[in-house]
Amino acid sequence: MKNGFAIFFAVLVALGSSWLGLVVAPAIQLGTAKLDPVLNSSDTWPQQRTGEATLGLQIYRANGCAACHTEQVRQAGVQAEVSLTGLGKSNPAEFKAFVQSLFILPELEKVTNNLAAFVKDWNGDLPKTFLTTDDLEAAGTMADRLKAAGLKSETLIVATGPDIARGWGVRRSVAADYLYDYPVQLGGLRVGPDLANIGVRDPVASAQLLHLYAPGAVVKNSAMPSFKFLFEVRQAGATPSPDALNLPKEFAPPAGYEVVPKPEARELVAYLLSLRADQPVYEAPFTPAITKP
Amino acid sequence: MSEENQSSSAPSNPEPASTRSAVPMWIIVATLVLLFLGFVYFDNHSGWFDPKIYTPYASAEQLDAYQPRSGAAATLAQGKKVYETYCGICHGPDGQGKPATAPPLAGSEWVNAGGIHRLTEIPLAGLNGPIKVKGQPMTFASGMVPIGAALSDAELAAVLTYIRSAWGNKAGEVTADDVKTIRASLGAHSPPMTSEQLMKMPE
Amino acid sequence: MNPAETNPDCNAKIDASCRVPLLALFGGAALWLVVGLTLALLASITFHQPEMFAGCSYLTYGHLAPAANDLLVYGFAIPAALGVILWIFARLSQAELVLPLVPFAAANLWHLGVVIGLGAILFGGSSGFTWLEFPRASAMLLGVSFVLVAISAVATFGQRKERELYPSHWFLLAALLWFPWIYSTANFLLVTTHPVRGATQAVIGWWFSNNLIFVWFALVGLGVAFYFLPKLAGRPLQSRYYALFAFWTLILFGTWCGIPQSAPVPAWLPAASAIASLLLIVPLIAVAAIVWKTLRGAGVPGGGGTFCYIKFGTLAFIVSGLMLMASACPQYSRVLDFTWFGAAQVQLQILGFVAMILLGAMNEILPRVMAKELPFKKFVAAQFYLSIFGVALFVIPLAVAGVVQGRAAYDPAAAKIWLMISTTGLLLLLVGSVLLFVNISIMTVQWKLALAKTVIAYIKSPLETSEVKS
Repeated sequence: MKNGFAIFFAVLVALGSSWLGLVVAPAIQLGTAKLDPVLNSSDTWPQQRTGEATLGLQIYRANGCAACHTEQVRQAGVQAEVSLTGLGKSNPAEFKAFVQSLFILPELEKVTNNLAAFVKDWNGDLPKTFLTTDDLEAAGTMADRLKAAGLKSETLIVATGPDIARGWGVRRSVAADYLYDYPVQLGGLRVGPDLANIGVRDPVASAQLLHLYAPGAVVKNSAMPSFKFLFEVRQAGATPSPDALNLPKEFAPPAGYEVVPKPEARELVAYLLSLRADQPVYEAPFTPAITKP
Repeated sequence: MSEENQSSSAPSNPEPASTRSAVPMWIIVATLVLLFLGFVYFDNHSGWFDPKIYTPYASAEQLDAYQPRSGAAATLAQGKKVYETYCGICHGPDGQGKPATAPPLAGSEWVNAGGIHRLTEIPLAGLNGPIKVKGQPMTFASGMVPIGAALSDAELAAVLTYIRSAWGNKAGEVTADDVKTIRASLGAHSPPMTSEQLMKMPE
Repeated sequence: MNPAETNPDCNAKIDASCRVPLLALFGGAALWLVVGLTLALLASITFHQPEMFAGCSYLTYGHLAPAANDLLVYGFAIPAALGVILWIFARLSQAELVLPLVPFAAANLWHLGVVIGLGAILFGGSSGFTWLEFPRASAMLLGVSFVLVAISAVATFGQRKERELYPSHWFLLAALLWFPWIYSTANFLLVTTHPVRGATQAVIGWWFSNNLIFVWFALVGLGVAFYFLPKLAGRPLQSRYYALFAFWTLILFGTWCGIPQSAPVPAWLPAASAIASLLLIVPLIAVAAIVWKTLRGAGVPGGGGTFCYIKFGTLAFIVSGLMLMASACPQYSRVLDFTWFGAAQVQLQILGFVAMILLGAMNEILPRVMAKELPFKKFVAAQFYLSIFGVALFVIPLAVAGVVQGRAAYDPAAAKIWLMISTTGLLLLLVGSVLLFVNISIMTVQWKLALAKTVIAYIKSPLETSEVKS
């Protein structure tokens, strides 16, 4: 290997291939991304955070919360759920017979077991999801048949995966979710739960503040250290401050004192409450719940 | 041994050398096979650089197939498309209307009315002359063309349902059957109406 | 390359020319290793005792963990690597180190940068990006000082009389080129006034992390290992073309790994990384084959010397590479994502692979460069045994904790016992690192005292009569 310049150039190209592929190309493709439209709505995604929440992101960064928490939801698959919303002029027994009559269809071959179970167990209440399958063709055939029979039905698209089953989200996280974040705090380790939808799961500010001050009061045997330094313990006046935390006995300050959140704590909680990834976008479609269970 | 207790006076080992035996062929073949398998994996899982395709979807067709389409969601999606193609040019993408061109639809009492007759007649017959919207009398350079003539019953129903639920409007749906009935009652070549004539029709 | 006729006097002169910069680089590195392992130990303890530093904002886990990791990499591994590179280039070129005061100044700038960075992290000024937590000022100091050292190294490389390159040359020259490239790219695009937008930050962060922790350390570690293993065994490297193959496959495939399979980015990015991780088996096999063929039947005794360090380090590299491949495999990543398994792989790469190879190299180089034996020669073997047990006790329970955590759907209580065991491993590593620090400190103090004595003797010496003009 004597031709130094040729070797240097070859090394440059080899090393530079990943620079081109993993830095330049994503910067061009993702870095110029604009707002995503929300499916079936005139809203755009994501929504800009309030000022307090934007400051809270910097508190999150400064305290290294991403060392234990992630902010991304994974998705393993997607399913179609066909649910009956209106029987029209038929009654449940007729509907069951109708469903059984469809078993001979070739498209519904794979889902006849699910449908048979439904036919056995259904007591007639509406709305009722009677077919859950990742076979889109079967779901589509069923929906068409129902429509042709004059029955009202909805086909819901539902994201599936272990994170979603845990209630940590309703769809996978996509690049659009992080458009307004600097620095993006995706995290790499889940010592604590994922926070991508914490604003939907835990929307009460006082509960979040309590968890920050005394994690042990909210979660038994919590591995999270307490963030007491974001709060101030001060003498209580005759009436307690409206902000004062409502602490259980083991964590409460001595009598005559109260615990009040500092502005950093409030900002951090505002940021946490702004974390939501619950709108469907084209890259991660799902049908938001139309009827409450 | 020499290498652990090396002091500066003892001779150190000579600088290392290397032999020139060739790279075994099997490892080169293995690399090429793995590269091929990698290419097959990329073909199946990458979506070929499409920025909209995320796992678990593998292709644009698959992603499109899973977009929600049934019932209310489908009607609204269809209505939005029709609106953007035919109506948005004059009434604005956000339903705010354009001065001297078209009145706003957002918050308009004509759109939010309990009944659907008057609203449906506007695109079917056309509308000329001034009209009062949200308490404001408005005049326009030209009237509204009977755009409904170019749309099918389902499409017109979809777009009317869409405008009745977008931009803060909260009114009910318009079905294709309603559109069909009203189209039949107006007849083939009814002239454009004025707002006074419209007010005389049932809501 | 025919082994140059090693003239002991020539080697002594070469070693002496490296003395000042290497002391600055190695001395700081040894200190940062102790401090970094201490912070890592504190961080590890907070998992079973979360209330230990609860009131103190500086010592919260979110500060300790990134600070410890950054000190191990930027405080210990990179300066030690630079020192070893300078010495290897000087020896392979059979020429004295060119401009030795430039790397000396650079070393001081580097350590200043690390101090600033550490302070920033502990006081809440971290940039928020993994492995890039140091603020802009610190990053500029580090970048500039790296380039200064690289200039001296390349100039020394240019002085070589034997024109044909030895395999270590390729690895180490590529490392000298790659670090400024990735560091400046990542800092410009992430930690400046006009960062890239949204998820692009995460992609560039992952690219940088992989290229620093896996690729750059692999280039440095393998370059150093391919120098010392044949030299200490007294046999030639088997073979040049095999090492060439390992080099090219490492930089072609290794640099594309790093994007996790679950990433919130379009599917082509994790797919590219998955394919690259699969192809990583090729350089791993090549390295294993080279080491096995070179050392087969070599009969170098153990005893915890440099040879043992470097052999262990190379083995750790292969295990760490296999762990990286496992965590990138889509089926396993569903269980292993976001668990301690990834952290265990990174720690194995840093503490098991790079640290061991650099420690072995430092223990070999220091006596030659100082022209003096190590004050406590037994510490070398002691640190070796402490380190191998430390690495095993730290990494293996951490990896098991990761698998347990992943299968228990991230329930934190499930893996607690394994985390407690891994803390003991860190304790052993910390004790070992203190031994090296003691050795280097004593050597530095002795050298400075000797220097001071020479200077004082010169001042006090009577003037030659010819110098006095009356």
